[in-house]
Amino acid sequence: MNTDRRNPGTDNAAEPDKSGPASRPMGIRQAFREIRKGAVVVWWGFFDWVAVVSWKALLLVALLSLIIGAGIFNLPNFTFLLIVASFIVKVVAGGKRRAELTADEANSRAETEQLERTVLEARMEALQAQIEPHFLFNTLGSIDQLIQTDPPRASKMQQSLIRYLRSAMPQMREGRRPSLGQQVDLCRAFLEIMAVRMDGRLQSVVIVPEGLKSAVFPSMMLQTLVENAIKHGLEPKPEGGLIEIGAEIVDGQLAVHVRDTGIGFMPTGEGGVGLANIRERLKVLYKGRAELIISVPPAGGTCAAIKVPYETAPAPA
Amino acid sequence: MRPLPAPTAVVADDERLMRDQIVARLKEAWPELLIVGEASNGREAIDIVRSVGPDIVFLDISMPGTDGIEAARALAGQAHVVFVTAHDEYAIRAFEQGAVDYVLKPAEPARLALTCQRLRERLKQAPDPMHDLLAQLSQRLGPDGLKPREYMRWVQASVGATIRMIPTSEILFFRAEDKYTRVQTQRFEALIRKPIKELIDELDPNEFWQIHRSTVVRVDAVDQVSRNLRGNQVVHVKGSDERLEVSRTFNHLFKQM
Repeated sequence: MNTDRRNPGTDNAAEPDKSGPASRPMGIRQAFREIRKGAVVVWWGFFDWVAVVSWKALLLVALLSLIIGAGIFNLPNFTFLLIVASFIVKVVAGGKRRAELTADEANSRAETEQLERTVLEARMEALQAQIEPHFLFNTLGSIDQLIQTDPPRASKMQQSLIRYLRSAMPQMREGRRPSLGQQVDLCRAFLEIMAVRMDGRLQSVVIVPEGLKSAVFPSMMLQTLVENAIKHGLEPKPEGGLIEIGAEIVDGQLAVHVRDTGIGFMPTGEGGVGLANIRERLKVLYKGRAELIISVPPAGGTCAAIKVPYETAPAPA
Repeated sequence: MRPLPAPTAVVADDERLMRDQIVARLKEAWPELLIVGEASNGREAIDIVRSVGPDIVFLDISMPGTDGIEAARALAGQAHVVFVTAHDEYAIRAFEQGAVDYVLKPAEPARLALTCQRLRERLKQAPDPMHDLLAQLSQRLGPDGLKPREYMRWVQASVGATIRMIPTSEILFFRAEDKYTRVQTQRFEALIRKPIKELIDELDPNEFWQIHRSTVVRVDAVDQVSRNLRGNQVVHVKGSDERLEVSRTFNHLFKQM
């Protein structure tokens, strides 16, 4: 630590000597400026060091410099003055400066953490946003068949697919904070496609108040819940069933649920990956202020609800 | 020489549109082929094939309940099997090595014509039992009777008036209480009727340890183990102030390394 402090000083002392003879009038002024700059750097370096260093270390250094300063260079007064000055600095300004320095450090650590969170969330979101090839190819296959048997219906289904892809592709989302309205529209398009493919076995109803559509809601979570409800709840059920998407404000929180009348949740079942992913993302995004709740409605089937703090997205410019 | 009877086929796909498509395109590619039945899941396919006895069965791989692979296993040797799939790189690779053919959805007429050509050749032989291929496929696709044991991943418990599914990863411990077993998580507690004795058989032994006649703890939730005044081990759990006593029978679990 000691040598750290001395280095900039010696550098600055040597510099004017080098530049001095080259051009005198300009050189002197420049040299002064350099010396002043150097002195400021040395002073603040010294100041910070005094502020952060422990009293024990300061005393030890003082004793050492007393021995060197007074004993070897024979400058007892100057050394003594320096030591007294540093003690005064430590007493008067040490605490405040130290607090400042720790605050700075904490700030930059918080920034790094925030950055890490953002990166983590982006990665998990991308994972969740993957469009299943199976879904895509099956849908295109159905459209292909409808083109021959029922062209108007084929066209409708293709439009649903386009709407779905527009909001499901990560690169199409333009970095805005996703709103509940967008997520619901995405799910609607998805449900329209699945209703055609499942041939009357799937009914759906969306109960989302107009006023909640501008609420901020993380992307692709609702979509995962809807996919799960179809895949694990309704598809295995020969007669199919109903999916209900609903949203309400409960105790200041936005609660969005997907309820199905399917075969019910399997305790040993797979398919927990999507839900685990949602849980992780909620943790990263809201730090314990959001949760995913899976419950069994009295009438059977499954209900999955996501609760997040209620905030509205700024209207798009 | 008597003319050969017309070849027959059954088509199984859970989506009617896809079924219609295969049937329509088969008619174009192979007009003599008689479609004698259609099924919307693996179970139906098995029943229809067994009762009708077609020469060929077209099986969609991903169908609800009994899937195409399971149906093929049940029907091996009874009919020539052609798998139908929307997207399945692994399966395609497997078929390329195997004896059975496959059709990618949506079925291209030219590709389907080739399949029909192969089937005409194949009809002269008995259906292949497909042992290797099915073993290879089911290994990847999972559901078969030989799968390693499945443990409980979710616990269905009542919280107040509602019934919730709690992922085991959120549970700190289970504790027997009178008639019920209490499920403790960081946020809330819930009740189940299942006694600890039965519960322990359904939980993954790598995830949960029984530490007492009435206590099961999730291993990852254990913070530290100390000793109480009587000299018994006591487990401290992350996210709960409750202390869990370890009975002597389970002392060995926390022996020092």
